[in-house]
Amino acid sequence: MKRVYFLFLLIGIAFFSCEKASDSNMSLSNATGVGGSMAKFTISGNYLYAVSSHYIYTVDISDPSKPKKTNQTELSFDMETIYPYKNNLFIGSRTGLYIYSLAVPSAPKLIGEAKHGRSCDPVIANDSVSYSTLKGNSFCGPATSGLYVYDIKNLNQPQLKTTIKINEPLGLGMADSALYVCCAAEGLKVFSIKNPYEPVERKIFAGNNYIDVIPYNDILICWSAEGIVLYDITNRLLPVFIKKIAN
Amino acid sequence: MYHKRFILPLTISVLFISCWKVRNVDDINIPPPPTPQPQIKVWGFKPVYGTETEAKNILYSPGAKPVINGGNIYAYQQYLFQMETGMGIHVIDNTTPSTAERIGFITVKGCSQISIKDGKIYTNSYDDLVVLNFSNFNTIEEISRLKGVFTEYRYASPIVQPPTSGYYQCPLYDKFVVGWVKDSVYKYCYKN
Repeated sequence: MKRVYFLFLLIGIAFFSCEKASDSNMSLSNATGVGGSMAKFTISGNYLYAVSSHYIYTVDISDPSKPKKTNQTELSFDMETIYPYKNNLFIGSRTGLYIYSLAVPSAPKLIGEAKHGRSCDPVIANDSVSYSTLKGNSFCGPATSGLYVYDIKNLNQPQLKTTIKINEPLGLGMADSALYVCCAAEGLKVFSIKNPYEPVERKIFAGNNYIDVIPYNDILICWSAEGIVLYDITNRLLPVFIKKIAN
Repeated sequence: MYHKRFILPLTISVLFISCWKVRNVDDINIPPPPTPQPQIKVWGFKPVYGTETEAKNILYSPGAKPVINGGNIYAYQQYLFQMETGMGIHVIDNTTPSTAERIGFITVKGCSQISIKDGKIYTNSYDDLVVLNFSNFNTIEEISRLKGVFTEYRYASPIVQPPTSGYYQCPLYDKFVVGWVKDSVYKYCYKN
């Protein structure tokens, strides 16, 4: 039995190192792209992870001409989004934040969770902090709408540090000391996260219904109901409007 | 007194039951009302069906198409992608952000998600996983298709609902919906 664990561990380490390599080669062709926080598909290493309302699917894509499903896990909560960070998947659901370990990449394993009231819930994370937006309404459930900040230094036990009330928060993204939160018709809010557990609102861009964002190098790509909006974020906390590609 | 300990869990269970989201698959299982009701027709959407070959054909068309039901976005190298929920993928050339524009459209019926690795697009088409090679968009090709992998999309793929809100004719689930047209339909299925 011990040998089997050792083998899994080796495989895990092997994949982990692959992922790191591709991270540092963002601009090369053999890289993975970047999705928004509302995505239900993500690639980590040689695996594609997908969520539908009640399942996590794992597909081995080491040979793209022969993808192979290695796992399908049923869960009783409504899953909304999937976000990869290092060797973990952060899953936003209607009932809380769930953290899955990819130590065995072919079969993600639940290692931590933070339950909250029922709501819609995308999530992003880094080594020490995760940000979720909760949208409580008649469709999503009764939780208090806002930005929820969790300390995740211990992945098994995320701790709620702060909540900031926002009426209708949707997707979110971060780049260094800045956190960008889409607030539907209210606009796009820019928070300073120099103190990661105490975001401070710095700026708001109104005029579009913002749904989701991707900070991509020095460009902030925004999905709004009216079109794609691009900002220059060379200065992370002071985005400069570049262009709107109207629907 | 023995009963008391059940009251709280039971109340909580009941609360959660009332919160269940009605999924598409449930729409067709709603029992008929006890008394016959007059059937009212309204202006709404009607499904267009196709053969499996038509439904699953991948095609690249150069030029910008309008975004009607815009979905997830994705960044890869100099390109941006935006899902046209249920219908395909808009391709945006972002080489120079100040002049970024939609340059083409990849038809992938029943799609909503995208991820890219090593120049290959991974997307969903109905309940299938599809892998596309896009080194040259004009000769985009389907490298592989893993059929039926996303079991839950079987009856709830993004194309089984029309692009915008309103009443629609409930589609037959043993057929492939390839699009929606405006028509006079019974007030039965409704999209928020």
